[in-house]
Amino acid sequence: MDASQVDVTKLSDNDKKELNQFLASEAQKSTIQQSVHHLTDACWKKCITSRVTAGRLDSSEESCAQNCVERWMDTNLAVLKHLEVLRGQ
Amino acid sequence: MALFGSGSSSNQSQQDAKAAIIKQVQAEAAVTNARALISRVNEHCFEHCIPKPGSTMSSSEESCLSNCMEKYISMWNVVNRTYVSRISSESKRMGQDAVALSQLSTPSDK
Repeated sequence: MDASQVDVTKLSDNDKKELNQFLASEAQKSTIQQSVHHLTDACWKKCITSRVTAGRLDSSEESCAQNCVERWMDTNLAVLKHLEVLRGQ
Repeated sequence: MALFGSGSSSNQSQQDAKAAIIKQVQAEAAVTNARALISRVNEHCFEHCIPKPGSTMSSSEESCLSNCMEKYISMWNVVNRTYVSRISSESKRMGQDAVALSQLSTPSDK
């Protein structure tokens, strides 16, 4: 069956609820994936500085990528935390 | 199903309808994600491997592109793994659900 032919009004309440939950989790997944794209973009610029000669990440590049993500998250949290301070002034 | 007399035909078609929607949403999400990845691979690897575009593509440029592509995809996987595990530990720590947190920390697309 093609999803475009589906009449969603005919679905039972239970099915609608299940679909809503599914869509919410897909939306969340998609948001996370967008963040991953953005982060890979940013961390590629920071961590891949020499010529690419192999298809695999070497260990220093891998740990650089991990640190890059962790520090990006720290930055995010630090910004939010300081924003709270600013708001309280 | 009819054999047991349970589930009317409309019930069956509702099951089909739900499954069809789920399948289509998953397929479209996968395509969107793949497109986003490919466009970024293109951008970064063109930048990296073709500093001075010549009249034809050389074999060294081509092998650079293959390596670059594989490397970018491995990096995507490392970033994904690290980010997801950080988000889940962060949401546990803050007692918030992961939805709110991921929305909070979503970087804007450039």
